[in-house]
Amino acid sequence: MIPLVTFRLSGYVRSHRIFQPLLGLLAVLSIIYATGVPAGGELPSYSDSAGILMLVFAWAARGLLDNEPDEQRLIAITAVGRRRELVAGLLAALLLTAALALVAVVFPLLVGFAETPGAADLGYGAGLHLLAVLAGTALGALTSRPVLASPAASAAVLVGGYVAILLLSSAGPWASVPVLDWMNAAHHHELPDRLGVIVASALAWSAAGLAGYAAVRRVRG
Amino acid sequence: MRATDVSFRYRRGDPWVLSGASLDLAPGAVAEITGPNGTGKSTLLRLLAGLLRPVRGLIEERPAVIGYAPERFPSAQPFTVAAYLRHMAAIRRVAVPEELTARLGMDHLLGQKLPDLSKGSAHKVGLAQALAGEPGLLILDEPFAGLDVTARAELSVIVTEIAARGGIVVASDHQGDLRAVPGVTRYEVRDGKITQVARVVEDDPLTTLTIKLPQSRAAALAARLRAEGHEVS
Repeated sequence: MIPLVTFRLSGYVRSHRIFQPLLGLLAVLSIIYATGVPAGGELPSYSDSAGILMLVFAWAARGLLDNEPDEQRLIAITAVGRRRELVAGLLAALLLTAALALVAVVFPLLVGFAETPGAADLGYGAGLHLLAVLAGTALGALTSRPVLASPAASAAVLVGGYVAILLLSSAGPWASVPVLDWMNAAHHHELPDRLGVIVASALAWSAAGLAGYAAVRRVRG
Repeated sequence: MRATDVSFRYRRGDPWVLSGASLDLAPGAVAEITGPNGTGKSTLLRLLAGLLRPVRGLIEERPAVIGYAPERFPSAQPFTVAAYLRHMAAIRRVAVPEELTARLGMDHLLGQKLPDLSKGSAHKVGLAQALAGEPGLLILDEPFAGLDVTARAELSVIVTEIAARGGIVVASDHQGDLRAVPGVTRYEVRDGKITQVARVVEDDPLTTLTIKLPQSRAAALAARLRAEGHEVS
């Protein structure tokens, strides 16, 4: 499976399509950290970054999954089997979005934060980005070509889906991926107390999204 | 490998592409799938390859190692031929098919980028990746289309070798080049059914045909006739 993951990532990077989410990532980071973050504001900034970048992660995941031609996907399925091909695609998308998240976590340490955050805040920040990676990859997979063949419909559902997640998450931590909930919690210094519910909800929604993608692929190939 | 009463349609409410179609392929079988355009040859090949699931019916005893060459090789990929074949060999966990690339006359293409290839050259790449790793089931969708005379002849030989090893070869073939392979069985897909239309008759009496043509075209025609299994002197 690892050679197929390598092949998918290599094809994506060589096609130069990685520049699209990379530009989105740098634009978001530049806006968030343009004026600098004073001491104590690190975790709220991380939570905003994770929440906003979920859209960029979804965009990147969809781009990677849609990068190879349909016939190449068929060749890969005959080579490694249907299940491994699906898992390899998702794994490649997760590695890509995780790499983007790593940039998002390290970037403010170099240019944004007035002071280096403590280990706890750094851990929380990385963890929130990891939740965004999972949810974003699931959203990207659900809007990829095997699920939504029309590029216009796919782009609309990706952006619309992200907006819907934001709106629904204001209704409570279980209403959707709890993006607004983790932002609120971080801004009000309540993240450690509410972390369990936030993580459980984000994992459950991401797992449901990935399971939905797998179910559609089982029918449509 | 056996397909039993297989029915397939792409969506609920669509007409059936295959309806109660059956096919029995013993190890070493070479099946040529024919039929008019749009009758479901490629769909049948994808079902046999496991890329589509039958709506009804069963496909059983499919060999574990499958080689699949689509009708149109997806050349819009950012790799050279050599890099692509290296990746595919790693994915299949087999050696890079250096001997195959030589036999198909594509060594000079190895450094070229896939999007720059002509249709025939891209088709050779698709064949090379499918043939690598001694497949137990080889599915070829119009494998001879766009190939030069030498490659067509060599592909027939390679198919014969795979069948001799016990591999099953199923190919749609409008050109009829596959008939050069000994023991090939011809099936026709029509009206949703698969029918065996002709057997190779071993004791068909031989006859001599004299052809007059420009000398410059003689070598190419002789090679093609040899590739089709005819005796040329």
